[in-house]
Amino acid sequence: MQVQRRGLAGLLLAMGGIPHALAQGDEALAYYRQANVNWRQADGQSLTIALNKHPFTESLLPLIPQFRRLTGINVEYLILPEAEYFTRLVADLSQQRGEFSVVMTGPMRNWQYVPPNWILPLDGFLDNPALTDRSWFKLEDFYPPLIAANRWDGRTGGGVGEGPLYSIPVLEESYILAYRKDIFDQHDIKVPATIEEMAEAARQVKRHAGISGIVARGTPSVASMGTGFLSGLKSYTDGQWSELDSNLRANFHDPRSVRFTEIWIDMVRESGPPNWANLQWYDAMEAFTAGQAGMIADADFFAASYEDPSRSRVAGKVGYALIPPGPGGKTYSGLWTWALGINRATRNKEAAWLFLQWATAQHTLLNATVGYRNYNPSRASVTNDPRVQEAMGGWGGGTYLSTVAKNLETARVAWVPQPERTRAGDIWARSLHEIYFRRMSAADALKRASTELDRVLRQADIRR
Amino acid sequence: MTPGAAAFRRHARNVAVLLGAAALLAWTVFPFFWILLTSLKSPADILSVPPKFVFAPTIENYAALVFGEQRGQYSSTRPDFPLFFLNSMIISVGAVALSITVGIPAAYALARFSFPLKNLLAFLFLSFRFVPFIVFVIPLYLIYQRVGLYNTHAGLIFAYQLISLPFTIWMLRSFFMEVPLEIQEAAKIDGCSWLGVLTRVILPLSMPGIAVTVILGFMFCWNAFNYPLMLAGRQTFPVTVGAIQFISYEQVLWGQMAAATTVAALPQLLLSLLVQKYIVRGLTMGAVR
Amino acid sequence: MRADETGRRRRRRPAAVLPYLLLSPALVLLGGMIYPFALGLYYSLTNYWLQYPDRFRVVWFENYFELLEEPLFLRALEFTLGFTVVAVVVQVGLGLAVALFLHGRIPGRGVIRALMLLPLMIPPVITALMWKIMMASTNAGILNHMLSFLGVEPINWFGSTQGAVVSVLIIDTWGNLPFVALILLGGLQALPSEPYEAARVDGAGAAAILRYVTLPLLTPFIVLVVTFRAMDSLRIFDVIYATTAGGPNDATTNLHIMAYQYAFQWYQMGRGMTQAVVLLLLVVTVSYLLLRLWNRAAERMAP
Repeated sequence: MQVQRRGLAGLLLAMGGIPHALAQGDEALAYYRQANVNWRQADGQSLTIALNKHPFTESLLPLIPQFRRLTGINVEYLILPEAEYFTRLVADLSQQRGEFSVVMTGPMRNWQYVPPNWILPLDGFLDNPALTDRSWFKLEDFYPPLIAANRWDGRTGGGVGEGPLYSIPVLEESYILAYRKDIFDQHDIKVPATIEEMAEAARQVKRHAGISGIVARGTPSVASMGTGFLSGLKSYTDGQWSELDSNLRANFHDPRSVRFTEIWIDMVRESGPPNWANLQWYDAMEAFTAGQAGMIADADFFAASYEDPSRSRVAGKVGYALIPPGPGGKTYSGLWTWALGINRATRNKEAAWLFLQWATAQHTLLNATVGYRNYNPSRASVTNDPRVQEAMGGWGGGTYLSTVAKNLETARVAWVPQPERTRAGDIWARSLHEIYFRRMSAADALKRASTELDRVLRQADIRR
Repeated sequence: MTPGAAAFRRHARNVAVLLGAAALLAWTVFPFFWILLTSLKSPADILSVPPKFVFAPTIENYAALVFGEQRGQYSSTRPDFPLFFLNSMIISVGAVALSITVGIPAAYALARFSFPLKNLLAFLFLSFRFVPFIVFVIPLYLIYQRVGLYNTHAGLIFAYQLISLPFTIWMLRSFFMEVPLEIQEAAKIDGCSWLGVLTRVILPLSMPGIAVTVILGFMFCWNAFNYPLMLAGRQTFPVTVGAIQFISYEQVLWGQMAAATTVAALPQLLLSLLVQKYIVRGLTMGAVR
Repeated sequence: MRADETGRRRRRRPAAVLPYLLLSPALVLLGGMIYPFALGLYYSLTNYWLQYPDRFRVVWFENYFELLEEPLFLRALEFTLGFTVVAVVVQVGLGLAVALFLHGRIPGRGVIRALMLLPLMIPPVITALMWKIMMASTNAGILNHMLSFLGVEPINWFGSTQGAVVSVLIIDTWGNLPFVALILLGGLQALPSEPYEAARVDGAGAAAILRYVTLPLLTPFIVLVVTFRAMDSLRIFDVIYATTAGGPNDATTNLHIMAYQYAFQWYQMGRGMTQAVVLLLLVVTVSYLLLRLWNRAAERMAP
């Protein structure tokens, strides 16, 4: 057995010849110094930032000394995987002692943080010429749906896209269908145009190729609901159904939702892996990457793993398509962005904003994508950069980029804004388990989920 | 019984013993062996189906722990791992040292004296171990933030007493009680005070027990996860919290997690090898018949 | 001390204070934990819900009453108790067998003993994750792969309700068997040898020695490990959290997991603490009963 050796040359080659130097050294600082902003106005202050373990945060960490050179601000950080991260974050936000100044958040999470006034609106900072050079920062460079997703007027049940901007997106995540083009072509399976066809395609894959027809997240948590499942359901109902109706009563038991759930659960039970109920996002992604499934309807940027020849068995064999639409013919995918926000309790608000502006600047985000695989970019200029185009352009023979572009035309935040969204998702996911293990029919399980969610909403005093 | 049958019985027994030992070893060691293998695999090998026993090993995962640079196709940790390792050392050693220092007199009192409230106090000590960590960890988090013990080694050592002190007192108590009374009485007749009895009789004779207590206590502290998750910041995270950082948003770095686990287990391995000698020495001391 | 014991009292006075003095450092240390504990208890009497700080108020025992109406609570309670009984029987039984095995003259027993410490060296969270890699079939499940050589069909370790419970039991046993075995082994090594010599002189066979000499002498240690394992099994958390998170379909949800979900996922601190306190009461009760057993056994050994 030979021990693999990777020299510096190998490293550079592996990174596609894109050196770290993209982001290091004083020539990089020159980019930021172009901004008509006094970066040193918070000199000597300290910040602690709370970050979710993520390629974006990986990209930031080597640059933190650079930030200190630019601004004189000391930055300390805390990084944890998602579940533990949110636990720590909410513990600190709820105390409002300002331990964390800059936080990683997102649209649905903001619905928890805004009502109790835990995070600050950012418009004030953006409009303050002493703090922000808008012509340099170019807020318009961000894809508009992503900025809209991070705006909320605080109204339960609606108002996303209006009101203050609470966080600035650092990536885009929407949901598409990835499928094994090689298997589909070989066995003459057509790309599904409806959910029923998707179930049939899964059946075909399993029968002819001997692998799972489809793999999907299945853990009994909100994280399993909002990606492929919810996107499929929204599409199935032409975007007309929501988990809370206009009176903020739970609506899981709507007949359309029941029907879709039956199809979906039957599909994963019949054609999915036997341990569906325990699949986290990375289990599903790794299963597809390892060539063990014919389809996956989940985050678009998982393609970076599918198409990575050093880890993937299916690189170059994957096709990308929209999640099957409903009768109206349009797909309504969900949307998520990781975004940076500011803790209201921070003592150093200007310093926090300077960090945020720096971290979401074009140069920083470009480095994150090019050097650290932060996908999908939230800035159009990053996506259009030739290096990014080269990396992503080849995925699915070009179908990846075109599919995502089409998807973003109609993708929107799929949940109803309310502080107990996480709870709603958890209740919903558990009801799916009841159905999957045949303890209850879909209609009964979803009715019970609705009742339980209504009870929680009542306890939390969430109503029109 | 014929000599042949007796010999057969002996052989059969030896074989059974060997099989038993082999089964025990396999059961105990295999997962660790698998972790070791995983730590030497590249990402593609880790995810391969069927799983591979034979592959080209790489030390990239270990290198990533120390150097933390981006390597090739997958991003790695930043080089915080050595810091986490050091934190684990400081906190675990400190917590166990504190528990032993405080626990020996307490266990001695509970083992060899008779006084009112004895059983109640013994139960009280043990009961701290019963409490689900949730009941403690949130109040501790709030209090520590106010008192300035948050993200400090001292704060964690104090919190870890919840893990190690009850266990230490109870284990030492059991071992102290096993020391025969006659020896203790003999020492008293020789003019030893309670301190003399403790240091000259009980402690030496309980060394194997103390050794086992120390090492198990160290392991419980080293493996603690839920307390440092809430009460520590990046500068004081132990390796347990550090290890879950390999679960990233777009992938799980199993190889590096396995490498971190292997490295994190080394101090405990060394400690247990050291302690082996104590156990053997204690047995041959002669006083324990 | 009562006045009628004046004579004895004067001789005993120095000694009477001594045990308390010896205990005082430990008491001080753990005494510092009383305040956090009291705070936790207090929260269980409130409707503390992190996102709704304005509505914080004391609700006294409302949380406790509502708990009885929560369907998941009864399921969690059932699983908590059931799992504990099975886990303790399995782990103490196997541990005793292993301890007896290692107590004999086995070749390489020093090495085996050292290696047996390995499971304890890995944090339970990591143990669970590593077993998860070995068991989960979409992640190149080595376990099913090896079982296939024995002709066993792939087992749905985490994806089926029965498989999940068994998996948790296996992982927990793997992690804790060394603890039980080592304590019992230490106990076996500390046993006096006269009873054995007497028994041999009487011509007793191995089984009889085991039953009438070893086990009775070992009783304090057995009760000790049963108590510790029972306490830990009632509260088992890390293994479940890292593998099944209480699923699938709530099959591996015990009171601890449920309390964690309420407190750390849904931020209902009041309810989470309530469930934690109920768990605590359960553990205290069980342990108290077991410890009365220990005390009686110990008193017989050290008069």
